[in-house]
Amino acid sequence: MWHSAPNTMKTPSLVIVAAARTPFSRAGTDLAHLDAVELGRHAVSALLTRTGIDPMLVDETILGCVGQPPEAMNIARVIALRAGLPESKPAMTVHRNCASGLEALTLAHAKMCAGQGEVFVVGGTESMSNMPFYFSRPAVEKFTAMSRARDFTGRAKAALHFRPADFAPVIGLKLGLTDPVSSLNMGQTAEVLSREFGITRDMQDAFAMRSHLCATQANHLLNQEIAPVLGRKVVATDNGVRADSSLEKLGKLKALFDTVVGTVTAGNSSQITDGAVALLVATEEAAAAHNWKPLGRLVSYAATGCDPARMGLGPVRALDAALHRSGWKLDDADVFEINEAFAAQVLAVMKCLTDPSSARRAGLEAPLGEFDPAKINACGGAIALGHPVGATGARLVQTALNQLHANDGKRAVISLCVGGGQGMAACLEAL
Amino acid sequence: MNLKQNILIQPKAMKTLLNCPSIIHDPPMPPKHFRLDVDHDGIAWITFDSPKSSVNVWNEETLREFNHLLEIIEHDTRVKALVLRSAKERIFIAGADIKAIRNMQHVRVNELIWLGQAVFDRLARLRMPKIAAINGACMGGGFEVTLACDWRIASDHDSTKIGLPETQLGILPAWGGSTRLSRIVGVRKALDLITTGKLLNANAAKRAGLVSYVVAVERLDALACSLVRQKRPCLRFRFENLFSAIIGHLAKRKALEKTRGLYPSVTKAVEVVTHAVHGEIEKGLLLERNAVAELIKGRDSARLIDLFFKREEANKRPVSGGTALPIHDATVIGAGVMGAGIAHILASRGIRVLMTDVSNDSLARGLERIQGLVGDARRRRLVTEVQVRDTLDRISTTHVPVPLNRHHLVIEAATESMELKRKIFADLAARVAEDTILATNTSALSVSDLAKTVPNPERVIGLHFFNPVHRMPLVEIITLPETSPDVLATVVSFVQKLGKTPVVVKDSPGFLVNRILVPYLMEAVRLHESGISVKDIDEAMLEFGMPMGPMRLLDEIGLDVAAHVAKTLASAFPDRFSHTDALDKMVNEGHLGKKTGQGFYRYENGKEIVPTTHSDLPRHESIQTNLALLISQEAMRCLKEGIARNADDIDLAMVLGTGYPPFRGGPITFARDTGIIDY
Repeated sequence: MWHSAPNTMKTPSLVIVAAARTPFSRAGTDLAHLDAVELGRHAVSALLTRTGIDPMLVDETILGCVGQPPEAMNIARVIALRAGLPESKPAMTVHRNCASGLEALTLAHAKMCAGQGEVFVVGGTESMSNMPFYFSRPAVEKFTAMSRARDFTGRAKAALHFRPADFAPVIGLKLGLTDPVSSLNMGQTAEVLSREFGITRDMQDAFAMRSHLCATQANHLLNQEIAPVLGRKVVATDNGVRADSSLEKLGKLKALFDTVVGTVTAGNSSQITDGAVALLVATEEAAAAHNWKPLGRLVSYAATGCDPARMGLGPVRALDAALHRSGWKLDDADVFEINEAFAAQVLAVMKCLTDPSSARRAGLEAPLGEFDPAKINACGGAIALGHPVGATGARLVQTALNQLHANDGKRAVISLCVGGGQGMAACLEAL
Repeated sequence: MNLKQNILIQPKAMKTLLNCPSIIHDPPMPPKHFRLDVDHDGIAWITFDSPKSSVNVWNEETLREFNHLLEIIEHDTRVKALVLRSAKERIFIAGADIKAIRNMQHVRVNELIWLGQAVFDRLARLRMPKIAAINGACMGGGFEVTLACDWRIASDHDSTKIGLPETQLGILPAWGGSTRLSRIVGVRKALDLITTGKLLNANAAKRAGLVSYVVAVERLDALACSLVRQKRPCLRFRFENLFSAIIGHLAKRKALEKTRGLYPSVTKAVEVVTHAVHGEIEKGLLLERNAVAELIKGRDSARLIDLFFKREEANKRPVSGGTALPIHDATVIGAGVMGAGIAHILASRGIRVLMTDVSNDSLARGLERIQGLVGDARRRRLVTEVQVRDTLDRISTTHVPVPLNRHHLVIEAATESMELKRKIFADLAARVAEDTILATNTSALSVSDLAKTVPNPERVIGLHFFNPVHRMPLVEIITLPETSPDVLATVVSFVQKLGKTPVVVKDSPGFLVNRILVPYLMEAVRLHESGISVKDIDEAMLEFGMPMGPMRLLDEIGLDVAAHVAKTLASAFPDRFSHTDALDKMVNEGHLGKKTGQGFYRYENGKEIVPTTHSDLPRHESIQTNLALLISQEAMRCLKEGIARNADDIDLAMVLGTGYPPFRGGPITFARDTGIIDY
């Protein structure tokens, strides 16, 4: 047997010191001219400006990004350098689909525990306006053949092999939103949940309307999170929120993924959005040493897996694990931020948390207990604000802490479903 | 040898003379300034490396040594090729030793010109491939020697700058530059390079055809070796050179229009370049010699050279008695024309800037202005796409208060209001570190009044940039008696790093430049009031050499601004300034100059409507004397009151800050040279 010395070192505790984000703008609108690098640079640079910290103190930058632009591989490094972080400090990009922004944060914690740094800039960035279009494999082969041809006639001959279909682009965004294992796109997985858990179109639309109205009401709180993007037009607010949202308007929309009997519409799904979020996190000791006043602490977190065709249920297991690790009960939390990938999906998760038979179908032995549904997404969610996939996880952290401070709350629980059949959750505590 | 003989020396006799021991004294062996290594491939490497100096320059000694090396090479049968290079890190050859030339008798200057021509001609006649491997500054005579080589190759290092700045010093390239360049790159490019005196970086030089290859500095020698084996390039036939007479005529007309004949070196250079493009090289060399002999007879060149050294010194000399700390981050308060201009110049020089203002809208306008500036620089190919991006990346903005304790320097560039500036300074004092330098970009308000509002006033300083910031080379640094030497040293070195020329002045109404300028402008207004036409006043001063007449300048500044500054000065020096109500009247009528479309001139869509007033030539001289005298008088007063540290600083500030004709040396030199005031 190995005789190891008892581990006397205390596990470092991660605190969130400050946060800044770009406004979240519907794809193709106010921020479409900025790519994921520019958005990330803006958020990180604003974070550094707001905190006034010495960039030399940052040990590493970790950012989530789902659709990394091909011209900025390891986008986190590009962003870190352009935002003014020192060359000597490394940066890496993480990818856990929709939870990438939260993964960046939890990875920072893992690195702290491993003694690999004390101060991190974490977050996520996504420009869904700038998702690339691709050529199909046969078309690529023809292009390659043409570029290999030595002379003009060779090139001309190679060019003759092209067919009109070769020039039809493969849409990157569409590919990214389709699960390759179950071959269902994300909307179709939401339709599955809607069917299996009896979530009607009306329930979904009501939830979507609530998201818009909550976001409208929390406008002031949300604007505090934003570092305005200055250009010919000053972009200082999220532009997806519809203050005039109503059941009537939502009811008029056509189902998107199952046009015959479907219930999931563009109105009750998250929006396709551009945005980036940056958080400054540090070990509790480092924050104290630099005299920083942290906003909150990461208490526990968990990433779990589930059926890819029912990826929307991901939060159920993840919440169970994260709560178990923190020792909290579901109702201990003052704030819940459950990412609204689809209204049907959030409603299904809520059902699984409280209803015994649904809980069992989602893989729990028993429901996690009762809780006040009003605590969920009180500032609205991705249906109103949008879901820049790589960034959302970090925004949930920012918005949750922001709410705790505004309402003198103590505990927050955040969770996201993850394309490909995963869930991620974290427990946060205000400081 | 007298002057006349010298410049009329027959070209054919040159070679004979060169070998005549009475003229070329054999330098001591081994050479002090050069190393000569002949490798086993038969390549002779001549490395220019002046001892105990960071620069290489051509003077009599180095030319003679170089000549001697050429002689050795001529007689060494092993040598198959020659490579000229420099051992200095940032300098290839900085040109002729101007300092020495400045103090030489004319006869000696002519001798030196002849010597240089003869030596470089000898190089050109060497029967082997000759390669100049340029790394670092390659200017004037330093470039002319490479024109006598077959190949010019350059390193891509930042310090590589190539050009012929002679005309800026009132002379012209006379060591074969005016003759050989047009044969290599064509007469138009040659004229452009010689008449503007601009310096090109390596890539621009390659585009212009001055060098054949640009490579990393470590690869220069290897490239030289491989070129030796290649066929020597023959000069391309330049179709345009057939029309050199027409091109020259047009260029001369343009130069005369622009300079009003006040800069004879430019027109002379056009003449020499266009005449020397055909026929024997010797003919061109003779033209060059004659032109220089004529130019140095005037005093303009001496004054321009003096001014050059004054500026060099101001650009480089550190402040004694203080320690300069490096500045990496700075805050600029205010995103208006000045604030944005300052933020732009800082960011373009590698400093991270936080620009603040009261609202996002004003910040956005400031950013847009900066984008316009970098976009303009990009279009004119002054910067690369990457530099544009980096400059913009270095600028962040905020309209809410953020901690500033990490910033070493805060430059306040808010609206000119004492009350507002006091409020800003009081607020700043609470948010910055104790030793953060607090600078104000005021052009008229008292810096010492501002200093009273903050604890530790020894860190308060005035930093007066001129508008437009990216174009104006001067920065007035306003010190208070309590300003600490370290703060002054830091700010001076900071301004130097921005590529601007700092002039240190005392806090006093109008500081230096505006103080001297205002009486001149007010007198111009008074003259106009007395019945002299706007056009006559402006023409008179344009003929004096000012880049812009006083009336037009007033229109550009804005009459309201000018009236405000004039009032400040008038109240500070009540009995001295000629008072005039004309300005106030125009301001009250809403005629504020170019910005409102009506001032002393009328404008439509920002363009002037040409007035049809007659020009009264005989009057010009008296207007000139009158106004120039005022400038010199006020400059002398500033000197006596100790506003500036010395006369050189005043001359420099007026030339760089107002465009005072540089060939006149500055207002104090002008006063001394013309004797209009007891000096």
